[in-house]
Amino acid sequence: MDTMRGDTIGADAPDVAAIAAAHRGSRAALIAILREVQAARGYLPEDALRAVARHTGRSLVDVYAVASFYHSFSLKPRGRHTVCACLGTACHVRGGQQVVEALSRELGVRAGETTPDGEFTLETANCLGACALGPVVVVDGRYFAKVNPGKVRRILSQARSGVAAPEAADGERALVTEAVCPECGRPLLDAARPIDGYPSLQVSAQCNGWRGRARISCVDGVLDGAPENAAALERVRLFCPHCSAGLNDLLRCGECGVPTVSVLAGDGALVQMCGCGEQRVRRAEVEGAGARREIAQLS
Amino acid sequence: MPAYRSTVLLCAGGGCISCGCLPVREAMEAELKRRNLADEVRVVQTGCVGSCDLGPVLIVYPDEVFYQKVSPGDVPKLVDEHFLKGRVFERLLVKSAETDNLIATQREFAFFNKQVKIVLENCGVIDPENIEEYVARGGYLALGQVISERTPEWVIEELKKSGLRGRGGAGFPAGTKWDFVRKAPGERKYVVCNADEGDPGAFMDRSVLEGDPHRVLEAMAIAGFAASADQGYIYVRAEYPLAIRRTRRAIQQAREAGFLGRNLFESSFSFDIDIRVGAGAFVCGEETALLASIEGKRGIPRPRPPFPAVSGLWGKPTLINNVETYACIVPIITRGGDWYASIGTEKSKGTKVFALAGKIRNTGLVEVPMGTTLREIVYDIGGGVPNGRKFKAAQTGGPSGGCIPAEHLDIPMDYESLAKVGSIVGSGGLIIMDEDSCMVDVAKFFMEFCTDESCGKCPPCRVGTRQIYGLLDKITKGEARIEDLHLLEELCGMVKESSLCGLGQTAPNPVLSTLRYFRDEYLEHIVDRRCPAKVCPSLIRYSIDEAACTGCSLCARNCPENTIFKVEDQKKYRIDPARCVKCGVCFDVCRFGAVVKS
Ligand SMILES: Cc1cc2nc3c(=O)[nH]c(=O)nc-3n(C[C@H](O)[C@H](O)[C@H](O)COP(=O)(O)O)c2cc1C
Ligand code: SF4
Ligand code: SF4
Ligand code: FES
Ligand SMILES: [Zn+2]
Ligand SMILES: [Zn+2]
Repeated sequence: MDTMRGDTIGADAPDVAAIAAAHRGSRAALIAILREVQAARGYLPEDALRAVARHTGRSLVDVYAVASFYHSFSLKPRGRHTVCACLGTACHVRGGQQVVEALSRELGVRAGETTPDGEFTLETANCLGACALGPVVVVDGRYFAKVNPGKVRRILSQARSGVAAPEAADGERALVTEAVCPECGRPLLDAARPIDGYPSLQVSAQCNGWRGRARISCVDGVLDGAPENAAALERVRLFCPHCSAGLNDLLRCGECGVPTVSVLAGDGALVQMCGCGEQRVRRAEVEGAGARREIAQLS
Repeated sequence: MPAYRSTVLLCAGGGCISCGCLPVREAMEAELKRRNLADEVRVVQTGCVGSCDLGPVLIVYPDEVFYQKVSPGDVPKLVDEHFLKGRVFERLLVKSAETDNLIATQREFAFFNKQVKIVLENCGVIDPENIEEYVARGGYLALGQVISERTPEWVIEELKKSGLRGRGGAGFPAGTKWDFVRKAPGERKYVVCNADEGDPGAFMDRSVLEGDPHRVLEAMAIAGFAASADQGYIYVRAEYPLAIRRTRRAIQQAREAGFLGRNLFESSFSFDIDIRVGAGAFVCGEETALLASIEGKRGIPRPRPPFPAVSGLWGKPTLINNVETYACIVPIITRGGDWYASIGTEKSKGTKVFALAGKIRNTGLVEVPMGTTLREIVYDIGGGVPNGRKFKAAQTGGPSGGCIPAEHLDIPMDYESLAKVGSIVGSGGLIIMDEDSCMVDVAKFFMEFCTDESCGKCPPCRVGTRQIYGLLDKITKGEARIEDLHLLEELCGMVKESSLCGLGQTAPNPVLSTLRYFRDEYLEHIVDRRCPAKVCPSLIRYSIDEAACTGCSLCARNCPENTIFKVEDQKKYRIDPARCVKCGVCFDVCRFGAVVKS
């Protein structure tokens, strides 16, 4: 059926006809028509270019020349997700080129191309106007700030899995999308204060005489808001902001062996978060932890 | 209308929107309503305030209290403290870089109080989507006055007196250009606003359109009056959807209010404006290419003369100016050309907006009188270079410009002084670089940009830029020989001399200027095969300092090439240099500083 549909569109392309009709009489409208067709179809397939030529009375060569000249027109189908890395000057001097290379390596395509599975289109842009956040990567309209090659994998895996919490089995990686304190059961996740576009964990923190509020990124487990030298979770003591229960003395990270932060995820599983980016579901531990089990039952 | 006791200005410029200011607005409005303050406190969404790295930003009037990095979660506490308890909410104040003291108000903040705002006087102050706010600040008065009381000659005379020069890059005197178009023979004439803003590190035109679009519309109408044109076009790049939306809306409102359309202010003068959206090509910023693009063709430059002032859109005389140039017109008309000429230096009048970014503490838009020194911009306004690094150079003028090294920090920023040191004011991109920036890499970056953007019409530009890029690439890979440096200089000279349009003619500038000031750095790449800034991947290597390594294995798990292995019987990791592709992932992920670049 799909090919059938493609063919019928190719034959009379009513969508293109309507767009062209709306611009009739304007001498300069070719670029605007192409933009609208691209917005409707996602890209500019050949049948659409032919239809544009027919409806505007221009030659196909003319239409093709214009469509291929401007960067924002795409003659090939695009992926489900668009990853756009900024290569403006400000982002470049902060390492934007390395970010593009890392994206390109991870996705196995060059800038301007789409992965064979149709998942990702990788693009670069010249200044997205958010230089203060540079290097900037925008995934499906979501801005990631101060990106470096080390963050690229996680950004892509977030995009792949979407925002929804995967129903992870014991020992699997999970993105924390709901979290409560294992002791008092009050919410730790604050959607109103996102890091990298995702809700972050709110905690009280203490380190070398400094105390205050800090946030933990659910994307990569990195601590934000504590003094610079405390960026690694294991040097900081973290507490529930509601009941002051210690959060980071429960378990050690299976990957890197440092103390982690544990929170209760939405479905009652304990999720262990580490600054190394590990976020593993630990169902077994929940059973053994007295107070924690009660909470798990409550929720 | 209720008498508000307080107004909250919420920056909704591009930078702040990217870091989530819209949810802050929603939270603020909900909270004010919940506390029954909605009739007392008004929330206004403005254009870019300028301090983009502090976003989302709120300024509370009348006291001008400046809150930074506000998140929706902070809002209830902020409303409670500021509006109910009547005291400043300290947690969200800015800290002074030098003294660590809290800065409560916008006025006390050096980033703002060292600036002189003319172009940006309304940006971050009014709601750009509401024409009434513009009118309340004297908007469209100048247009009315000009149409009813003045002649086109008077307008052009004031403009000449002001000494205003084009802000799009070339610095051509605006009054002279307007006069040319006025005197060019022809029935039909056009006024065009160049908002293509192709410099990949600049965003002031965009901010003006996003923050104060009516100022540009009014100026274009005045230009139409002076040049006797009745139609204007604003050419905006497609990458600026917010600017397009707000400008479109402004045009609509201006038409409804009778500031655009037929018989303005009951005169015989009619003027209307349309938007044309570019589709992303740097060369379209060049005026003849831009006009071709408006006509719906490929944006390819043509030789000048004839200049657009004589033969532009569809062969008719066309006045084309940059957004910022237009943004200076209304103040010049209202306050007089002499007033404007009193600001700035002898040959560079008025103010200039710079988009300050890169390795600098305060990133954002700054407007200063022409002739302000680079040092004042970098240190007083910009707050200096962060992370204890040293200033190395400033890049101005983007791909057509050059760099200014530390020894010229005291240079006045104006057309003549910058030309003297081999750079240009350009459109206003100002990128700060520190010791960790490699100048060969920067030159290569701009050259790659130019090869991509060359329209391909003339061989010197199409082929020459590619050859220059090839040489720079060789240098950054440590494969070049000393002779290549001479070849590089020759090629640059050739491309400069024989290219058709400004793109090719200026493309070698970043190379020539880095060669002039940082020749040693080129030599180090070539002779010692070393990148002193540790940027060029081929010339650096990554290794693990085993004393610092805790054996956490994070690097090994993230290395895309699996080149990091565990040292036998030890909780330590090591990199196999032969297979390392220098992606830098391990360096970024190690939280113990154990991965070192050398
Ligand atoms: C390659 C190239 C790119 C340009 N890009 C821009 C641009 O993005 N914005 C702009 O206003 N002028 C740009 N210009 C300059 C324009 O050709 C033209 O001089 C300017 O719009 C005139 O306006 P002004 O006199 O107000 O500066 C560019 C020129 C060249 C050669
Ligand atoms: S990430 Fe750092 S500490 Fe961990 S194994 Fe690698 S070098 Fe060692
Ligand atoms: S730089 Fe990249 S490839 Fe080389 S060791 Fe580090 S992670 Fe692996
Ligand atoms: S250079 Fe990347 S946002 Fe400006
Ligand atoms: Zn608790
Ligand atoms: Zn280098």
